[in-house]
Amino acid sequence: MPIPAVILVGADKGGVGKTTVSRTLLDYFAARKITARAFDTECPKGTLKRFHPGITEVVDVTSVPDQMKIFDTVESSGTQVTLIDIKAGLMTPTLEALRDIGFIDMTKRGDLAFAVFHILGPSIASLDEIAETSKFLLDARYFLVKNFINNTTFFDWDEGTYNSYFNKIPHAVEIVVPKLSEMACEKVEVSAVPFATFIADKTASGQPAGYSFVLRGYVRHWLNGVFAEYDRVRLTEILDSQDAKPRPSAKVAELSPQRASS
Amino acid sequence: MNAFAVDRFDAPASPSPEPGRSAAAPIYVVCSPNRQVGKTMVARLLAEHYAADARPFAAFDLSDEAPGLADFLTHHVTIPSIRDIRGQMRFFDGLIESGNVTKVIDLSHREFANFFTIVDKIGLFEEARRRAIEPLILFLIDSSPIAAKAYGLLRRRFVGTSLLPVRNLTVAKGLPYGASFPHASRLMASLEIATLGPAARAVVEREKFSFLHLNKQGWPYSDMSPRTRAEIEAWFRRARFQFREIELSLIREQILTALHSDLRALTVR
Repeated sequence: MPIPAVILVGADKGGVGKTTVSRTLLDYFAARKITARAFDTECPKGTLKRFHPGITEVVDVTSVPDQMKIFDTVESSGTQVTLIDIKAGLMTPTLEALRDIGFIDMTKRGDLAFAVFHILGPSIASLDEIAETSKFLLDARYFLVKNFINNTTFFDWDEGTYNSYFNKIPHAVEIVVPKLSEMACEKVEVSAVPFATFIADKTASGQPAGYSFVLRGYVRHWLNGVFAEYDRVRLTEILDSQDAKPRPSAKVAELSPQRASS
Repeated sequence: MNAFAVDRFDAPASPSPEPGRSAAAPIYVVCSPNRQVGKTMVARLLAEHYAADARPFAAFDLSDEAPGLADFLTHHVTIPSIRDIRGQMRFFDGLIESGNVTKVIDLSHREFANFFTIVDKIGLFEEARRRAIEPLILFLIDSSPIAAKAYGLLRRRFVGTSLLPVRNLTVAKGLPYGASFPHASRLMASLEIATLGPAARAVVEREKFSFLHLNKQGWPYSDMSPRTRAEIEAWFRRARFQFREIELSLIREQILTALHSDLRALTVR
């Protein structure tokens, strides 16, 4: 029996690709037929909402009414996954709020699944964030995401230092988001559609878009790589209750260009 | 989430053409990981085969060394660059856009790995087949281990794409196809390029030479003996005959595919 899951995507630094990772997660769940809703905390403008307007709501995660809107409806919303794209700087305050309202205790009881995608930046400050964040997450699935989409080089990191942080959190799992061609990335941004929709050569309204086949190919190849990472860490298993049998790993080959026009 | 994004992942991964797509002109990729095996010659023969029938074709010189296709078919050849993404967009998007024009690509041994890596990443061959464009890899075989290895890689990586070994008898005479170059295509066709005598060979390798203008008087045809001329004509005819066999085989496959599709539709009803 699936249990509802809350996924937090965040980092205390800006510009590390939180929204990009959120977008890939929404595409991933859609591809696996897992219903999802999303909250965009870039209040009031919203960033994630541009790409997934039908399922995204812009909220102020620091306000109690909006916290109620998100967390009081996790089970009643009818969707399996509630994804929250946390604005830069709000990761730790949000986790504190979740602890204070008893949400983290609920996840300990197994009533809800809880996972955090911590997007790492290239600087050493990111490693301090890991220590800061992980103390809230002893019973949550904790994913440390190295995002190379914009060819980030993790120049500040000494591998030994990183490992010493990483090893302190036995339940942390590393995910690598590969690089995507800048032009392809930019084109999807401008098109303001989900990655899967771009690959399918559709506009937001479902009309044929006429995007470059080459760019669509690169995005498809890249998204396959990201999905392979999510499959590797058995992401869908967070939705399974503890007595459930493991789900079969989803095949990334399901995302192929032939389906674009089907 | 937009509904079509979900739908997209549900559809079967069939490389068959979309319903209603009529068969389009093929894309020939003439290639080898080695130099001096006759790639440009095969590409020239193919391009001139289409030119001789006044059928539309576009030739692309990815040979990056002289003499390349562009040195012979000066008015019909584009020299693309696939080193950056803009060049790739111009070239690969163009390849699948105009389906009624046959494309001939003369692929350099230096661009071999890069070309097929990109093709694999962007799913060019699958997309081409979806648009009823048949991609055909014409692989010039030779005795080097690198050729056998590259052939095996292509065969594994592009399952379902026609990979035809081409035996240029000048470099691959007596070389067994055997386990190294097994026929990997639904097409019942193969290609063998006969050896030309030294005099004829010297003429056809002259810059701007065209098989279609053998009867012209000026350079590069002026000092050709009638015997050499006849040899070249026969050689070109023989190559064209084999190209026609490939085309016939393509048409046969297209008709069979259409028949299967009709049969499936009838069974469903």
